[in-house]
Amino acid sequence: MTSKQGRKLRRADLGYFLGFGAPGLLFYACFVFAPLVLSVGYSFTNADAFGPDTKFTGFHNYLRLFQDPDFLMQLRVTTVLTFIIVLVPNLGGLAIAVLLNRRGRLYRALRTVFFVPVVLSSVVVSVVWQAMLTDGGLLDTVLTSLGVEHPPGWLSDPSIALYSVGSIASWQLLGFCTVVYLAGLQGVPDDLLEAAAIDGAGRWTRFRRVTWPMLAPALTINTVMLLITGFKTYDFVQVITHGGPGSGTTATVAYGVIQTGFTENKTGLASAMAVVMLLIVAVVSSVALRVLQRREVEL
Amino acid sequence: MRHGTGHPEAAGRFRREESRAPWVRALFALTITAVFALPLYLVVANVFKRGEDISGSPASVPWPPTLDNLKAVLNRPDGLYWNGLINSAEITVVSIVILAVLSAMLGHYLCRTRSRFARLTLLVLLAGLMIPPQVILVPVVRILRLTHLMTTLSGMVAFNVGYYIPFGVFVFAGFIRSIPVELEEAAALDGAGRWRTFWVVVFPLLRPATASVLIFLGVWIWNDFLDPLIILGPVGGTTVTVGVYRALGEHQSDYGQLFGLMFLAALPVVIFYFLLQKHFVKGLTGGAVKG
Repeated sequence: MTSKQGRKLRRADLGYFLGFGAPGLLFYACFVFAPLVLSVGYSFTNADAFGPDTKFTGFHNYLRLFQDPDFLMQLRVTTVLTFIIVLVPNLGGLAIAVLLNRRGRLYRALRTVFFVPVVLSSVVVSVVWQAMLTDGGLLDTVLTSLGVEHPPGWLSDPSIALYSVGSIASWQLLGFCTVVYLAGLQGVPDDLLEAAAIDGAGRWTRFRRVTWPMLAPALTINTVMLLITGFKTYDFVQVITHGGPGSGTTATVAYGVIQTGFTENKTGLASAMAVVMLLIVAVVSSVALRVLQRREVEL
Repeated sequence: MRHGTGHPEAAGRFRREESRAPWVRALFALTITAVFALPLYLVVANVFKRGEDISGSPASVPWPPTLDNLKAVLNRPDGLYWNGLINSAEITVVSIVILAVLSAMLGHYLCRTRSRFARLTLLVLLAGLMIPPQVILVPVVRILRLTHLMTTLSGMVAFNVGYYIPFGVFVFAGFIRSIPVELEEAAALDGAGRWRTFWVVVFPLLRPATASVLIFLGVWIWNDFLDPLIILGPVGGTTVTVGVYRALGEHQSDYGQLFGLMFLAALPVVIFYFLLQKHFVKGLTGGAVKG
């Protein structure tokens, strides 16, 4: 290749980059990459919209966070919520998928119903459930008419509210898991199940030894999606509970970041919280992904 | 039981087990679904009821139905519904069209370029898939203020394009890899430039990926809550989704109007879902079966 050809090629590559690559990357750089770098930068400063001049403070924000009872509470709340959100829609979705894995118009219609909450905004889901669960709300009206005298304060009792929020999120995410598991179930060949039956395997054994291993990719997708969704739970808290009842019984880290950053205007501290949140999401979801994918290969 | 002990009638039993009492299963499935859908029923039923019937008998069938709640929402003096609807439609449509075009081209560039830069960029881009908006919103607001895009629809669209482009590239990249390069080389030999080759030969082949990107991002952006809440702010109007949140503050007790607004806000997405159901499921489960 002569140098002239080489230059021409390079110029063509530059044109390709400017025409095809650059526009999209520019948006990403401005609204995700640069803000991420800035967030990390702010987290090492005392940036505050109404405070003194911004100064570099090293790891001060991080050290402060891990002694801050509010933040530790948010970590605990987020962990419990994520645990519920990973477990309940995964198990429930699998059960519903097995139940609805049949041909026919009826089952097709029922599958459609389970997916409806997935396409609804979490704000809409929040309002629906708020109307259901608030004290004297629709559920209480039904329970009272059935003779229950003192229904629990689903959203007003500090020891219950977090589980209510977890249940609401699970209700919305169940249909997603169901659809993913159904696709997995449809990939299980009938003759394999039949062969197992001929070998004398009962229902449970067939599920455990044939179906379940073949659902490994579906389990991976669902678990990782639920983990990421669980860690960033914000909408339900903002719309339904505002972090309460009591002091921060349902306040997640994501909720704390927005409160600290936008209501209290403590940019530096909020950024440190955001960085901790991102690290947790990144580490936990990539470890989960690796473990689950290795399991897929082994099976 | 182990190999060789299988009975010839076992296969028959397998079949029989499967078809045993289909009615029991159907009835059970129906009951579970009814319980699951109860909240949805309550909303839809109460949209068509008068206020006193909502608190009195929330579970009753709305007969005769009333359109008062919907009318009240549609005729609000502050135009919360109509303004929100127009904003949502504008933001969603403009965002997803730009996203489809830019992420298809970026996906093509990153898949067809064999350099360390392209590989690294793809990695950095896909890492963006799991960045929660809370992590970047504080600086995003600063950048939008600096560029005078804060509280504008253009600012909202610009943020959407940046934030959702990793998903678009992720979907397109998988598809572009399955298209043989020879096809593009043949077009180039026929004298078509890179631009023409892409739009005439490649892009039409990406139709399923384009559909997935438009559908999923359309629903996500329509339903988005936190980003428009912060970026559009309290001044510059709002989307229907944020409108529902705002109305929640006003109508704590007037469920009729609140449900009416919610019903109308969700209606476009739900209709969209019922029309394009197959695409939703296909787009979602692409990776679930391959393994």
